[in-house]
Amino acid sequence: MTEVPATASPADYAAPATIGEALRLLSADPTNMVIAGGTDLIPATRAGTERPGVLVDLRRLPLNDITVEQDRVRLGARATFTDILSSPDLAREYPALHTAAAQVGGPPIRNRATIGGNLVHASPAADGAPPLLVYDATVVLLGPAGRREVPLTAFFEGPGRTVRQPSEIVTEIWMPRPTGPTVSAFAKLGPRLAMAVSIVCVAVRLSGAGLDSVDECRVALGAVAPTPIRAEDAEKTIVARGLTADSVARASIEAAEASAPIDDLRGTAAYRRRMVRVVVERMLDDLARKLTGAATDG
Amino acid sequence: MDEFEFLVNGVAHIVEADPRRTLLSVLREDLGLTGAKEGCGQGDCGSCVVVMDGLAVNSCLVYAGQAEGADIVTVEGLAQGDELHPLQKEFVDRWAFQCGFCTPGMLMTAYAFLSENPRPEAEQVRKAIAGNLCRCTNYRNIVEAVTAAAMKVSRS
Repeated sequence: MTEVPATASPADYAAPATIGEALRLLSADPTNMVIAGGTDLIPATRAGTERPGVLVDLRRLPLNDITVEQDRVRLGARATFTDILSSPDLAREYPALHTAAAQVGGPPIRNRATIGGNLVHASPAADGAPPLLVYDATVVLLGPAGRREVPLTAFFEGPGRTVRQPSEIVTEIWMPRPTGPTVSAFAKLGPRLAMAVSIVCVAVRLSGAGLDSVDECRVALGAVAPTPIRAEDAEKTIVARGLTADSVARASIEAAEASAPIDDLRGTAAYRRRMVRVVVERMLDDLARKLTGAATDG
Repeated sequence: MDEFEFLVNGVAHIVEADPRRTLLSVLREDLGLTGAKEGCGQGDCGSCVVVMDGLAVNSCLVYAGQAEGADIVTVEGLAQGDELHPLQKEFVDRWAFQCGFCTPGMLMTAYAFLSENPRPEAEQVRKAIAGNLCRCTNYRNIVEAVTAAAMKVSRS
């Protein structure tokens, strides 16, 4: 790339006009970092917990589109939570993501914070993650060695850690579109309805023709393990047994067992585990009713 | 140091600044616009909110480099000469502030909100200001002031 950065910058900040230049800048030094919204990175830099070299600002790159295709929806990594909230397509087909976006921070945070940044920052409590997990999202990364796709289930490694290499940029996240009757939801437990870091957050998706024929069940949990996780035993129980009072009760206990929460100032481990069971049970009950409606309408 | 150009309250400014200083600090220290306040410095309180390209943002969470070329409106840009903006008038008439520290941020959040939602319900106003903390007045007067201002703005 011979492109000169559009911001002829001193050593520590650049807003390149091409992705090639952005990649070159990132590869130049492992301390160089991408900045998108900056809502996590700026306070972390100020607190000294992050010490970025050159900041590579993605704002000139066209990575903020939300594109509905035949069989999938692509979210540009730089799409903000406000962009997500403003999309009627996402509200209709991916309500768990829409609801989560509505509960991240407050409006000024949502106007800046991006979905890509939410995933890369890899907070165990990232509200964007459980919805994307239940929609089987894939993360697209671009690096000096080329492009690769990583299922979101394999993306997180620990608090603040992902499989992304420092020289890679997350460019988009895509989700397959639902093919049959599907219902999904997101719920978050926090001290208030806005500006709260989740104590527990849960996303659930059910796809199938009815209560006794659930083809796919997804249960994803946030803030109760070192990374956002899927509760696979709970999912298997619902697929194997359908949605009955017994299977729902059993699946919610399995979801609680899948969690590995810690005590912190927001809540105790015991409270979190208990709330996983309660929230998952309520959501499965609620979605079971909706699935009956969706399957009849469809 | 870099040179940045942005539009602030309709006036083009060229500022020489470290691109990793916050927009808040550039507005306050370089341009003398001290309406936006630093409360928490991490995006929790909303007292630094300004409108950037039509959207309310925490100016403590925007670097100068990120704001290059942006169209910024601060609380100083609301009044037309001596004529207060309807939001400001309603805040005064309805006692929507005491100490005033949160007021510039509240006003700018409300200003951005009303431009998208000219006839809001009170519940929508409460959600719109969810990222702005007030620690001494009360939210009720603020919500009433925003709702009342909406009627005037949409009528004019």
